[in-house]
Amino acid sequence: MIKALNLKKTYGEKTVLELDELCVSDGEALVIVGPNGSGKSTLLKILAGVIEPTQGSVEGVEGLRYVPQQSYAFKRTVLENCMLSAEGSRKEKQRKSLEILERLGLSELADKKATGLSGGEKQRLAIARALVEPCRLLLLDEPTASADVEAAELIEDTLAQYKKATSCTIIMTTHSPKAAMGIADRVLIMNKGRRAELGTPEQVLRAPESAWAKSFIAGWSLDEN
Amino acid sequence: MDKFAEAFGYLFSLDRELVQIIGVTLKMSFFSTLISCLLGFPMGAAIAAKKFKGRRTAKRILSTLTGLPPVVAGLIVYMLFTRYGPFGSLNVLFTVKAMVIAQVILITPIVASLSSAVIEGNCRTIRETAIGMGLDGKKTFALYLTENRTALFSVLLTAFGRSIAEVGAVSIVGGNIQWKTRVMTTAIMLETNKGNFSFALALGIILLIIALIINIGASLISGEEPCDD
Ligand SMILES: Nc1ncnc2c1ncn2[C@@H]1O[C@H](COP(=O)(O)OP(=O)(O)O)[C@@H](O)[C@H]1O
Ligand SMILES: [Mg+2]
Repeated sequence: MIKALNLKKTYGEKTVLELDELCVSDGEALVIVGPNGSGKSTLLKILAGVIEPTQGSVEGVEGLRYVPQQSYAFKRTVLENCMLSAEGSRKEKQRKSLEILERLGLSELADKKATGLSGGEKQRLAIARALVEPCRLLLLDEPTASADVEAAELIEDTLAQYKKATSCTIIMTTHSPKAAMGIADRVLIMNKGRRAELGTPEQVLRAPESAWAKSFIAGWSLDEN
Repeated sequence: MDKFAEAFGYLFSLDRELVQIIGVTLKMSFFSTLISCLLGFPMGAAIAAKKFKGRRTAKRILSTLTGLPPVVAGLIVYMLFTRYGPFGSLNVLFTVKAMVIAQVILITPIVASLSSAVIEGNCRTIRETAIGMGLDGKKTFALYLTENRTALFSVLLTAFGRSIAEVGAVSIVGGNIQWKTRVMTTAIMLETNKGNFSFALALGIILLIIALIINIGASLISGEEPCDD
């Protein structure tokens, strides 16, 4: 179980994150939503150990893979990018990498220079690098943000299958209500660095506790996107 | 104009001494550059990306050393390796080795500061990505270097250019000994003083050609395209 206690992150005078408690059980999928600047990425970065919280602690993080909001492609081929995070012999790395690239619709680009990929392709490559080996905890920061409809579906399917196959814990941020509802066991709505709502998708959709959460959800149109 | 003609005469006749001087120069510059980069790249990466005590001080010392006058570096190496100095028994003074040591002292700080400036540009992103992929510190550190290989290669060329053009330190610790430690720059100084301008000019032309080759190499490798199409 992942347990974050009294997390606080400030930049100068500005508090960008303040969470008293957040627990995520093993194998659970927590989806974090909220407007721009509500502290979603900051929370993920702290969980990933990329930045230190100003206050508070995180326990239980191990075997982690994290896909940042901005994907970086290493200056090598797409396949070699993926092989960087694969384990085993060269042959095995290659096989595993090709498999996940295929799943994410990148196999035709395998021998291309990764730096030349489009934003959406780079993002799928970053996801491929994270999924090439099974992990205990998967952190995804807006994994479908640069994807078109088709690619978004591919990503969502891949994630759902991966979760089933590995029973890893997933914490994911998104602006897509469909992606959120598709995979979430629980949804965390954030606003101005704080928790606005936390519950199962049904709870959050049907009976949001705060007025702000209600209006935020009202902005979702579940048919689109 | 006949000085030029004579200079080209030296070049085209492959004058034995001229060729030997070029050989010593290239050997010295090759090893100076190699060692400076082997030391300076990791130092640069560490200063750009690693959190450690005294990082700021290290940065400051490094940028101060960047401006170290070559004759001072020469003097230091001279004092260390002179017969009754701390390393006198090594018998290194007035050899190419001493010249390489002085050059390494001069060039390593330059390589380290230039490469740290390069690596600062993307080490955060690389680190975040590497953490996300579960890579260990060693692999991440290697990525700081390999991901910046193009820019680091031009740092290497800069180092080579410095080393081939340097005169103050190498004349102090090398002694400008004919057939042994005489390099292009010290030969040019000597021949100019003697009034043998054509030999000096021949060496000068070669230095320019090497500089040109380095520049062409650098621009080929960086493959820079103008922003304006
Ligand atoms: N390095 C930083 N320095 C100063 N402010 C930052 C920094 N990183 C993030 N912030 C601020 O923190 C707030 C939350 O950012 P972020 O976690 O990226 O939000 P979200 O991912 O929900 O859009 C924003 O107001 C942002 O401007
Ligand atoms: Mg964000």
